[in-house]
Amino acid sequence: MSTPRTVPPRRAAVMLRALGVTAIVGVAATVWLGLFVTPPDEFMGNLVRLLYVHPPMAWVAFLAYGIASLASLLYLWPRTRAEHFDRLAGASGEVGVVFTGLTLVSGSIWGRPTWGAWWVWDPLLTTTALLFVLYLGYLALRRVPGEFHVRARRSAIGALIAFVDVPIVYFSVEWWRSLHQAPTVLNPTTHKTYVHGSMAWTLLLGFVSFTLVYIWMTAHRYRLAKLQDLEDAEGLEAAIAERRAEAVAG
Amino acid sequence: MNGYVEAGYVVVLGTLSTYGVTLVARERAARRRLGAAPNAVPSQVPAESQELTARGDVSLVKRRDSGETERGTDS
Repeated sequence: MSTPRTVPPRRAAVMLRALGVTAIVGVAATVWLGLFVTPPDEFMGNLVRLLYVHPPMAWVAFLAYGIASLASLLYLWPRTRAEHFDRLAGASGEVGVVFTGLTLVSGSIWGRPTWGAWWVWDPLLTTTALLFVLYLGYLALRRVPGEFHVRARRSAIGALIAFVDVPIVYFSVEWWRSLHQAPTVLNPTTHKTYVHGSMAWTLLLGFVSFTLVYIWMTAHRYRLAKLQDLEDAEGLEAAIAERRAEAVAG
Repeated sequence: MNGYVEAGYVVVLGTLSTYGVTLVARERAARRRLGAAPNAVPSQVPAESQELTARGDVSLVKRRDSGETERGTDS
């Protein structure tokens, strides 16, 4: 069992704090540009301002699940198997679920004035909802008690199975007839972008800022998982000491 | 502007802020319980615990307060 190369704790904490501040500044700038600087759209009017938060939520969710799957693969591979990959998969999966939930809610809020309904059983929406449920199941699987490596192995397999839905979500707008528009930032069929000028820069800033938020949250969730493992181990130490004391007394 | 736009921003920013604050608070609480120095993330669990859990001897694991017998999870 290997342990990751460690950065001195105080330096790591300073770096993480700096990352958090950068992320907050980036998100604040995105909100300011998105709400007050960029122009309304010719067809959608002010509703287009949801563009600066909704696609970044979906991107971060995909990224989070990608990282969780990669960490799960590294855990399953015997030569790279280590506890920190299991923790990273769990942390990234949980943050991914938060962002998937926000993708669904912000999409629903956008859909109501655009399509006239909060929800439609469109292929993209349905597969995204399925993705949300699959990763909720993954988080539930992680909570099933068991010996560390048994639990970690089955969780890693669960993460990889759930990840199969990610490309299905992405390509659903091309594979099936969908109410949802095809990708506008970079269309995979036409290879053209349909967002320009200040709108494009604001959208790009949104992608970068929310990615930083994801990294910050995953780092904190990872540290929390590490502390919880240590707490559990301390409970074990106490139990051992208790047993020894009982044996001596008996 | 548009009620839907504001609602979208409030939901996204509110949820992320709440989740972020909760994470930091849980991390601080865990540190307090462990009595660790601020920002000192321990790198290893005690060797004896690792040895016991690695060979699956989970019967020794007891939560001090509840008395359950489990190895504990990430959540």
